[in-house]
Amino acid sequence: MAEADSGFNYDPTKNYDDQICAQQRDIEKQITDEQSLVSNILSFDVLKTEYQDDQVFQNKIQDIKSRYKHMRKTRGDGNCFFRAFGFAYLEHLLKDDSDFPRFKEVASKSKDELVSLGFPQFTIEDFHDTFMEVIDKVGNKISYEEFFQLYTDQGISDYFVVYLRLIVSGHLQKEEDFFMNFVEGGRTVKEFCNQEVEPMHKESDHIHITALTAALGVTIRVEYMDRGDSDKCNQHDFPDGSKPDIFLLYRPGHYDILYP
Amino acid sequence: MASSPSSSAVKALQLELKKIHDEPVEGFRVKLINDDDLFVWEVAIFGPPGTLYEGGYFKAHMKFPPDYPYCPPSVRFVSKMWHPNVYDNGDVCISILHPPVDDPQSGELPSERWNPTQTVRTVLLSIISLLNEPNTYSPANVDASVMFRKFKESKGKDKEYENIIRKQVIATKEDSERDGVIVPTTLQEYCVSSKPSSHDNQVDADFYDDDYVDDLDDEEEMYEDDDEDSGNEES
Repeated sequence: MAEADSGFNYDPTKNYDDQICAQQRDIEKQITDEQSLVSNILSFDVLKTEYQDDQVFQNKIQDIKSRYKHMRKTRGDGNCFFRAFGFAYLEHLLKDDSDFPRFKEVASKSKDELVSLGFPQFTIEDFHDTFMEVIDKVGNKISYEEFFQLYTDQGISDYFVVYLRLIVSGHLQKEEDFFMNFVEGGRTVKEFCNQEVEPMHKESDHIHITALTAALGVTIRVEYMDRGDSDKCNQHDFPDGSKPDIFLLYRPGHYDILYP
Repeated sequence: MASSPSSSAVKALQLELKKIHDEPVEGFRVKLINDDDLFVWEVAIFGPPGTLYEGGYFKAHMKFPPDYPYCPPSVRFVSKMWHPNVYDNGDVCISILHPPVDDPQSGELPSERWNPTQTVRTVLLSIISLLNEPNTYSPANVDASVMFRKFKESKGKDKEYENIIRKQVIATKEDSERDGVIVPTTLQEYCVSSKPSSHDNQVDADFYDDDYVDDLDDEEEMYEDDDEDSGNEES
């Protein structure tokens, strides 16, 4: 941004909270204008164009192309992992509802668990209501078009993302003894959740994925497309050795959806 | 559910306002400054009994961003506040109101940041507990912070800080009389409205059971010989 080189002087006697929020909003607005929350089905040609002069990525795109039919992009707003996960899994349930009763029960119960962990009941209830509303509509077999419209409504979609974040936070705190070994920067699990999980637009890492898949009993395969030397993408299944329900594509800092 | 980005904000604020009106809670009152604008609230915080702030009626304006509850509101005291964590212009500086980004106030202790489950109520409870327990690690008002430390380190013997606070408490009386509000000065009265609620959660339990009541005990021991200064007490 222009301000960065126009000699901005940080004044410790001033409160910058409003400006920080306003700047964050500007960045988000720019992204909102350019990218849809979840795109339509796309061919891998869009990736090929994006990485035109990059042989490492071209090879890996070829590898992905040999194993997957198409993809779907999600908005790069820091919520992409949660957004991609929610869309891909609900879409999976629309096609195959054998896991629906189990998932619905886990989803319903999650509210009381979060309240018992100390989250304010009043707000948890609000987010949980919207979360369940979306899940129930999927259970009632709405059409794909209705689902797409529902899930790309910003208000509903963001509430859904917030609730997935809370589920991750709840799981990390419940299994604190285990996850404390993976928290960086000398923080407690609770601090980590408060700073890196619960706030919107905070990017997700391995630890978020591990917690979400464990908490909801959903399995994910992530294909890692990065600058590593290999011609192929590395894969990781969450949890290890499971048969994946959904497939995500990782590029540094971003998650999209893959379809085998 | 409507689809504009601020629909979440309107929905969340309407819910919160209704909840606070239906089940008033301890320590504060809220209302809209202008009935047509959900995004600016007037709040009045009651000074907690057993502290320097007892009997005080502190008014503040709370402004909500268009992307509430994803971003925090801001709180600005309208009543004069001499406090380590309140800026000259009345802006309150407290971790729970900081946006969840890495900010330049790196000297700040890792503490609870804003997240979308926070509410007006959790913010105001945090501010109430901040009144009596300033965070002197990242002061917004350095002079007040130094004065508070002297006061604390001298175990209340250095009265400069205390005298300013007591004066400001007395000055708020005009506002409470104008609004026809009787500020509770005993812990029972202060907390009573929170008791009937069946929706209590751990936040309240922590707030009253541990730190808060302990601190009240400490303060009472510490200042028991200061009665001559508290001419503001209504009895």
